[in-house]
Amino acid sequence: MYQFLSPKTIGEAKEHLAEKSNLKVLAGGTDLIIGLRDGAVHCDYIMDIKHIPELCEIGMTDDGLEVGAGVSLNAMLASGLCTGRYAALADSGHELANSLLRNRATLAGNICHASPGGDMLAPVLVLDAWVETLTPNGGRKIPLKDFFTGVKRHVLAADEMVVKTVFPRGDGTSAYHKKKRIRGHDLAQVGVAGSYAADGTLKLAFGAAGPTPVLIELGVFDPLALRAAREEILDKAMSGISPISDVRASKEHRLAMARYLAGDVLDALLEKVGV
Amino acid sequence: MRQIHLTVNNEKYQVYCPEHITLLTLLREHLHLTGTKEGCAAGECGACTVIFNGKAANACMVLAPEANGAVVETIEGEAKDGVLSPLQQSFIEHHALQCGFCTPGMIMSARALLDANPAPTRDEIKEAMEGNLCRCTGYEPIITAIEQAAGGERGA
Ligand SMILES: Cc1cc2nc3c(=O)[nH]c(=O)nc-3n(C[C@H](O)[C@H](O)[C@H](O)COP(=O)(O)OP(=O)(O)OC[C@H]3O[C@@H](n4cnc5c(N)ncnc54)[C@H](O)[C@@H]3O)c2cc1C
Ligand code: FES
Ligand code: FES
Repeated sequence: MYQFLSPKTIGEAKEHLAEKSNLKVLAGGTDLIIGLRDGAVHCDYIMDIKHIPELCEIGMTDDGLEVGAGVSLNAMLASGLCTGRYAALADSGHELANSLLRNRATLAGNICHASPGGDMLAPVLVLDAWVETLTPNGGRKIPLKDFFTGVKRHVLAADEMVVKTVFPRGDGTSAYHKKKRIRGHDLAQVGVAGSYAADGTLKLAFGAAGPTPVLIELGVFDPLALRAAREEILDKAMSGISPISDVRASKEHRLAMARYLAGDVLDALLEKVGV
Repeated sequence: MRQIHLTVNNEKYQVYCPEHITLLTLLREHLHLTGTKEGCAAGECGACTVIFNGKAANACMVLAPEANGAVVETIEGEAKDGVLSPLQQSFIEHHALQCGFCTPGMIMSARALLDANPAPTRDEIKEAMEGNLCRCTGYEPIITAIEQAAGGERGA
């Protein structure tokens, strides 16, 4: 059984990270509590981070859109900041679980759970986001494209936690489309995010299409060239993914859906820029 | 074991309970407020919905120590002095329940919605209720009951 910790400051959290081993961070708990319940997670300490005021902030800074690790997805959606370049966050936020769970679930929790099907993972990759972490010795900045190492695995050290996720400033647009088995809440069979920057840089990312989310950098296109190259772009994107069969979909269905959704995302991006 | 202070339906409680139980178990087994139901205990069904610090939440997805200092509203607080709320009355009038197992959760999700947004659209009602499952009614009567109750509470 664990001991429950509820630090009120970053300093206190840092002390706990330094002194307590086998500690799990608790954000919204919507993955962690299931793990505890099923006996899949064992820990000596649970550290609730939602009483640290800095971690519950969301806003625009010089760096870009910053989302604290304690901010619920519904608070993020209600902030009105998930538009323009960050529109994919609104699409994926609304797709994640249901509105009840989103009152608790967080972006950082989705990232740190690192499930291949996590709905926020493809969007964070196409938006060039990074996380800032806290460790006993300070902290570091980790680009999310270097974060995921396998199914539910990532590069965080045992005594390291995410403090915030940062989305760099930029003009342009983005989108996220998800295929699931039912109309109600369900994990993705496939999820595809795309971003199209004002300078024409196009990126796609796929969730539930491999052990980690996959980012595909496609180059720079003006809108008409993008429309003309649609099938070539899809060919290139598809060559970067290798989904498996599981309870949610067969490999073949995933491949077909990944291409279909990626095409849909490209069309949505073009529509947003008026082409 | 841990001491937890919390306010439930405007009453202050002080409980001594194990750290690893959920708010759902705390409410049902320690405070004997059994109106809040356990369906799946895994965040899937919404039968355990309460209002936790102003927001609808699955009580099975909150650890009891997280409730220290919290303000919680449960179905037991919905009727006042033995008189059903307009929302409860509307559920009865529109046949929005059959077995009734999902109903406490449905009412608490709807209550949180109406407290934040007294005039929700049908789509806003659907979004607010998407975490609450019902195996009996087919949902339409529930949505209608909430829509009508919203009008009634606003005096429309
Ligand atoms: C019924 C149900 C439906 C769901 N549907 C979906 C869905 O459709 N799509 C989807 O993507 N997910 C879904 N989920 C999973 C879950 O809701 C999301 O992954 C959510 O974003 C997790 O966030 P959280 O804040 O609740 O994380 P928590 O459960 O608090 O944490 C998750 C993990 O990350 C670690 N962690 C959390 N915060 C930090 C931090 N700051 N630093 C370091 N480690 C940290 C925790 O220790 C834990 O291991 C669903 C879950 C349930 C119960
Ligand atoms: S009992 Fe909590 S969601 Fe089912
Ligand atoms: S009335 Fe029976 S589950 Fe909803």
